Amino acid sequence: MTDHAALLAGCARGDAAALRALFEAEGPRMTGVARRLLRRPDLADEAVQDAFVAIWQKAATYDPARGAALGWIYAILRNRALNMLRNRAREDLTAPEDLDAVREADPVEGAYERLDASSRLRACLAALDPLKRRCVLMAYVLGFTHGEIAGRLAAPLGTVKTWVRRGLAALRECMT
Amino acid sequence: MTRELRDLADEYVVGLLDPAEAAAVEARLAAEPELARAVEAARARFLELDLTAEPAAPGDGAWSRIERRLAERPAAEVVPLRRRTAPWRGIAAAAMAASVLLAAALGWQLSRPEPLMIAVLIDETGEPRVLVEAFADDTTRVTPLGDLAVPEGRTMELWTKLPDPEARPISLGLLTEVAARTVTGPDLPAPRPGQLFEITFEQEGGSPTGGPTGPILGKGFAKPPR
Repeated sequence: MTDHAALLAGCARGDAAALRALFEAEGPRMTGVARRLLRRPDLADEAVQDAFVAIWQKAATYDPARGAALGWIYAILRNRALNMLRNRAREDLTAPEDLDAVREADPVEGAYERLDASSRLRACLAALDPLKRRCVLMAYVLGFTHGEIAGRLAAPLGTVKTWVRRGLAALRECMT
Repeated sequence: MTRELRDLADEYVVGLLDPAEAAAVEARLAAEPELARAVEAARARFLELDLTAEPAAPGDGAWSRIERRLAERPAAEVVPLRRRTAPWRGIAAAAMAASVLLAAALGWQLSRPEPLMIAVLIDETGEPRVLVEAFADDTTRVTPLGDLAVPEGRTMELWTKLPDPEARPISLGLLTEVAARTVTGPDLPAPRPGQLFEITFEQEGGSPTGGPTGPILGKGFAKPPR
């Protein structure tokens, strides 16, 4: 089991081996997350590299009292990827020749299905109305905006915003 | 905690806020612990979904690209008191050795280096009291200006603080007499604009707490000389 907090502490002390170990342990999965958000492997790689530079620089600000190290690490990655996403048009992001980078037919369902059978999150997502669940997952896993979700589901924007808000609130209540 | 705060935190974490709204939330986090807690809770709630991502090999040479970028900049932007962040050792040392060799080869005199940053420490009446010159090698030259009286039983201690909301003051050393002196501080990133320098009067031997405790002689923010 990787001790992420210990590795962050190592980074804060300037220990390059600690950042390397973090890269070995989490780099591939972080790349997977970045690919789900950004589609293009080259952009995903850029986001992951940016994230590791940020992790190195901010490691000293990680405070274990405020949350898990792994969550802190993925928050940095997600922030970077979402920033890149919001700064580019969605069309830039999937060139036809890159389609095989989008391996799964339905990455949203895939993410949900891969949650552990005993997972609380899974149970709470299962308890959601399917449309609300789909909206929440499209947003979190794929980084879709309200507008993009509305387009995909052929639903009015206002309706999607309501589904999302209610889905998020129901999930929050189920899990607290 | 209000429902609006929780909704906002959820939308922020899930990525549904537009860039301006997201930046606004980020700016509030340091000052609003309730919002920060809601954001932390939302992150923890959704983290498992990230952990389901199919791992993919980071591109060829990804690690060397990361290493190169880190060698180009200071190791950390925030250095909490008592924790050190060393520059990226091997590569920085090699770069320095290379530039020394180049200078020698060109027959340059290695003259006294210029300070990277200068701060004029002003007291509460607006009088300049001390000139601080901060160099790239973690030394700082401190020059008292005009008359300066140190209270009985006290010693001057020089502090610096990086321009970051999370940063805390770091001691650069004690000044035991009223005379121009160079102090060597701990390993820190290169001094930069907006960095705070301050001298306080502490008990003999310096502050026992690791942070400034005594009255402030003067303080000022660093600027680069032109």
